[in-house]
Amino acid sequence: MLALQTWIVHALFIFFTTESVGELLDPCGYIKPESPVVQLGSNFTAVCVLKEKCMDYFHVNASYIFWKTNHLTVPKEQYTIINRTASSVTFTDTSLLNTQLTCNIRTFGQIDQNVYGIRIISGLPPEKPKNLSCIVNEGKKMMCQWDPGRETYLETNFTLKSEWATEKFADCKTKRDTPTSCTVDYSPVYFVNIEVWVEAENALGKVTSNHINFDPVDKVKPNPPHNLSVSNSEELSSILKLTWINSSIQGFIRLKYNIQYRTRDSSIWSQIPPEDTASTRSSFTVQDLKPFTEYVFRIRCMKEDGKGFWSDWSEEASGITYEDRPSKAPSFWYKIEPSHTHGYRSVQLIWKTLPPFEANGKILDYEVTLTRWKSRLQNYTVNDTKWTVNITNDRYIATLTARNLVGKSDAAVLTIPAYDFQGNLAESKCYLITVTPIYADGPGSPESIKAYLKQAPPSKGPTVRTKKVGKNEAVLEWDQLPVDVQNGFIRNYTIFYRTIIGNETAVNVDSSHTEYTLSSLTSDTLYMVRMAAYTDEGGKDGPEFTFTTPKFAQGEIEAIVVPVCLAFLLTTLLGVLFCFNKRDLIKKHIWPNVPDPSKSLIAQWSPHTPPRHNFNSKDQMYSDGNFTDVSVVEIEAANDKKPFPEDLKSLDLFKKEKVSTEGHSSGIGGSSCMSSSRPSISSSDENESAQNTSGTVQYSTVVHSGYRHQVPSVQVFSRSESTQPLLDSEERPEDLQLLDNTDSSVGNFPRQQYFKQNCSQRETSPDSSHSERSKQVSSVSEEEFVRLKQQISGISQPYGSGQMKMFQEISVADAFGPRTEGQVERLETVGMEAAVDEGMPKSYLPQTVRRGGYMPQ
Amino acid sequence: LLSLQIKSQGLDKDGLKEHCRERPGAFPSKDALQRLSKREFLRTLHTMLGSILHRLTALQRDVPKAQDLETLNRAKQNIRGFRNNIHCMARLLPDSSETTEPTPAVPATSPSPTPTSDTFQRRLEGCRFLHGYHRFMHSVGQVFQEWGESPSRRRRHSPHGGLRKGVRRLQLSRRNKRLPPRGQLPR
Repeated sequence: MLALQTWIVHALFIFFTTESVGELLDPCGYIKPESPVVQLGSNFTAVCVLKEKCMDYFHVNASYIFWKTNHLTVPKEQYTIINRTASSVTFTDTSLLNTQLTCNIRTFGQIDQNVYGIRIISGLPPEKPKNLSCIVNEGKKMMCQWDPGRETYLETNFTLKSEWATEKFADCKTKRDTPTSCTVDYSPVYFVNIEVWVEAENALGKVTSNHINFDPVDKVKPNPPHNLSVSNSEELSSILKLTWINSSIQGFIRLKYNIQYRTRDSSIWSQIPPEDTASTRSSFTVQDLKPFTEYVFRIRCMKEDGKGFWSDWSEEASGITYEDRPSKAPSFWYKIEPSHTHGYRSVQLIWKTLPPFEANGKILDYEVTLTRWKSRLQNYTVNDTKWTVNITNDRYIATLTARNLVGKSDAAVLTIPAYDFQGNLAESKCYLITVTPIYADGPGSPESIKAYLKQAPPSKGPTVRTKKVGKNEAVLEWDQLPVDVQNGFIRNYTIFYRTIIGNETAVNVDSSHTEYTLSSLTSDTLYMVRMAAYTDEGGKDGPEFTFTTPKFAQGEIEAIVVPVCLAFLLTTLLGVLFCFNKRDLIKKHIWPNVPDPSKSLIAQWSPHTPPRHNFNSKDQMYSDGNFTDVSVVEIEAANDKKPFPEDLKSLDLFKKEKVSTEGHSSGIGGSSCMSSSRPSISSSDENESAQNTSGTVQYSTVVHSGYRHQVPSVQVFSRSESTQPLLDSEERPEDLQLLDNTDSSVGNFPRQQYFKQNCSQRETSPDSSHSERSKQVSSVSEEEFVRLKQQISGISQPYGSGQMKMFQEISVADAFGPRTEGQVERLETVGMEAAVDEGMPKSYLPQTVRRGGYMPQ
Repeated sequence: LLSLQIKSQGLDKDGLKEHCRERPGAFPSKDALQRLSKREFLRTLHTMLGSILHRLTALQRDVPKAQDLETLNRAKQNIRGFRNNIHCMARLLPDSSETTEPTPAVPATSPSPTPTSDTFQRRLEGCRFLHGYHRFMHSVGQVFQEWGESPSRRRRHSPHGGLRKGVRRLQLSRRNKRLPPRGQLPR
C-alpha cells in the first residue's frame, strides 16, 4: 500500500516535471526517509537533498528549498539548512495521519519547482491485546477472540499462537475482516491443557497479550440437545414430559440444562429452576402446568460445572397437557315465555361456554337438572348452550354442570320462581338483593346489596365481656349481633361503664369494631359495663357485665419483690465479704485464738523484756480481757493507799487455787538460761484449762523488745515448759513489735506480765504477789533453787551480754538488796508463805517487785 | 481404530479376524505395567506412545478413504495430547535415584512391524498392532485407575515389588516436600 502511494507520488512528480520543463527529467533531488511511518504525537524530520546537476541548472542551493504539506507551505521556522545541498524540516507532535510532504525550490525567482515528494504515514503501535478468550464449538475448531485495544491507524497484524507443553501449533493469522478473532486449524484435544496468546504487530511495534492456559473441554459450547419431544400424562393433567437426545459430547463431560416453557399464546418464557436440571439427563417432567393447555418448550445445555458456554437453544417443541374436569360451573340464567298451555310456562335456560382455562378440556355436553318443590329430580343432557323446557308455574330449582372427558364441573344452581310469585317483604328483615346483568352473549357479574324494608331498633343488645383486664385498663370484646336481631343496619355501639359509686361514662364505638379498650381505670375497683347497639331507629342495651381491676399491674409485684430480694442478697453478700475481710478483728473480739502449745519450738529465754514498773496494776489486771493471768498487783505507795480489800481477797482466793494446781504442774524451764522450773502463775480460768489440756506441752515466747528503747544485742528467746497456754498476744509478732516501740505504754503491759509469768519467774517474782511467789517456790526443784541463788549472788558479777546489762540496770535503778534476801528466805521456807503474804501487804509495792524480779544472774 | 482398520483393510472376514491378534511382546502386559514404579511407568508409556504415533503414521499410507484418514489423524492428535499429559505428569514427579534402578522388564523399543513387502501381511501386521494398541491402552487405563486407589491395592497385585515400591513411594513423598519437581523427558 505504502509502496503504491509512493509510486503514485513519484509518477505525479515526473509528470509535472515533464510538463514544466518540457522533457522527462530525473528528479532534482530526493527526500529522506523515503516512506516514513511516524508515531502520532512524535517529532518527525525529513531531509531534502538537491542534486548538483539540478542546482547548477537552476542556480539554486539548499536555501532555496521550501516545504509543503498537502500543498500548504510549511513555515520557514521549521527549516534547517544542513549544508549547500540539504535542507531539513521538522514537525513536532505529528497529528496528521496521512500527509503528503514535498520538497520544492523556487527557480528564477518566480517559478516553484517540485523536487520530490513523500507520503508520511502516521499511527500508533499496537496495544497489548486484552480479554483473550477461546471457545470450542462442539465438533468444530477452537476459535479465540480478544480486544485489540486502541485504533492504531496502521495495518496491524494479529497472530494467535498456541502450544502444548510438548509441541507448538501452527500460528493462526487473522483475516482482514475479522482482525480480533481467529479459528485455529487443528481440532482441539480435550483434557490436554493448551497455552494460547496473541501477538499484535504493525510498523511501529509488536506486543504480546497475556498467555492463557486452559483445558479446551472447559471452553466447550456443546451442540444443543436435539429431537426434543413433549408428551402428556393421562394420570396427571398438570405435567408434561420432555425427552431429548444429548449431543455427543455427553460422552466426555457431564451436562446441565436450562429448560424454558411458555404457553402457546404467550411470549414470555418461564424457566425450570436450574437446580432441578443440574445433572446429565435425557428427560424431564415439567409439573404445575395448567390442564389442557398447550406449552412450548426449549432446552439448552452446558458443562455441568459451569465451565464453558451454554449451547444454543434447541428447536422448540410443544405439547398439550391432559384434560381435567371443568374447574367451574357455567353461569346460566333463564327466560320465561308465556306458554299456550294453561298452567305451564316455557322456560329457556341459557349459559355460556366455559373459557378454556375453566373448561380444562373439551366440553362434551351439559347436564341440566330440574327439581320442583319436593318432587323428583329430572336430568337432561344438552349439547347446546341453551335449553327450553315447559314447566309448571311452580317454583323450580335448576342445576347445570359441564362435562368433559375427565369429569363434570360443580353444579351451578338457579331458582326459577313460581309464576305467581310476589314479593312479601317484612319490615326490619334483612334482604340480600342480587342483580345480574344480562348481555347479548350471556350474564355479567352479579352485584348484591343488603336492604331493609324498614329498620327498627335491635331486639337484643350486644353482650360485652372482658378480654383482658389490667390495672388501669380493660379490653372489652363482643360479638356482632346476629342478623335476625339487628333489625336494621348497626350504625354504632355505645359502651357504658361505671364504678359502684361513680358516674356512668359512655363511649361510642364504630359498628365495624368488636373490641374496645377502656383506659384510665382505677386499680382494684369494681366496674360495671354494658353495651348498646344502635340502628337508625334506635338502640338496645345488652346485659351488664362486671369486672374488677387488679391492685397490681402484671409484673408490678415482681418489679418490687425482685429488687428487694436482690438488695437483701447484696447486703448479705457485702456483710459476708466484710466479715471475711475483717475476720481477724472479729476473731480477736469474739473467739480469740487459743495457741497450740505443741508448736512451741523456741528454747532460749530472753531476759530482755523487763517488767513494767509503774503500771497501774488495778487497771491492767482487771480491765483487759486478754489479760488472763493476774500476776501483779501494784499498790502505789506514793499515795500511801492501802490495798483494796477486794484485791487482797481475790489474791487470797487466787493463791489458794494456785496452790491446788501446782501439784499438776510439771517441772519445766530448768534448762533455760534465766528460766525457772517454776510453773507460770495464773489466776485465770483460761490458764487453768490450759494446764489441764496441755500439761505435757512445752511452749515458749520469742522476746523481741528491749527495755525502754534499748535494743537487745542478742536475739533471745524465752522458753517455758509450763502447761500454761500462751496468750494471743504471744503468738502475734505485731504485738511484740509494739512492745519494742512502746514498752512503757500501758498497752503492752499484759505482755510483760505474761512474759514474766512464763519465761522468768525469778524475774517476775519480785513483781508478783506473795501468793505467786509462794506458788513458784512450791514448784521449783532444789537445783533451781541453787541456780537462783547463784543468780542472786552473781548480781555484782560483770556480764557482757546485753540482757545481763539490762538486768543490771534494772537492778541498779530499782532493786533492793534486802528484798532479795527476803525472797530467798521465802523460797526456802515454803510453809511460811501464807503467813508472810498475809503479813506483808507492802510487798505489792512496785519497788519491792522490781527489786526482787530483776536481779541479774 | 481397530474396527476401522479391520473394515478398511478388508479383514472383517471369518478366518481373517482370528489372525488379527496382538503379537506377543509387542506391548507391555498389564502385569508388567503394574510392576513398574510411577516414574518407570510414565517413561515407558511416553516411549510407547511415541512408537505408536510412528506406527500410525506408517499406517496412514494404507488408509484409502479420506474419512478414515481424518479419524486416524484425530486419533493421532489425541495420542499426542495424551503423551503431552504424560510428559507433564512425569515433570511433576521428582527426579530421583530411581534412574539407577533396574530397567523395567518391558520392551523399550518400538513395536515396529516386521518389514515386509507383502501387502496382505502388512495389513495383518497393522491389524495386530492396533489390537495390541487397544489392549495396551486399556491396561494403561487400569493402572492409572489403581493410582487413585490405596497403595495396598497395588501391593496386592505385585507382591514382590509392592513392598519395595511402597517404600519408594514414601521416599518420593518426602522428597516431594523438599525438592521442586524437576522434569526429565524420557528418551
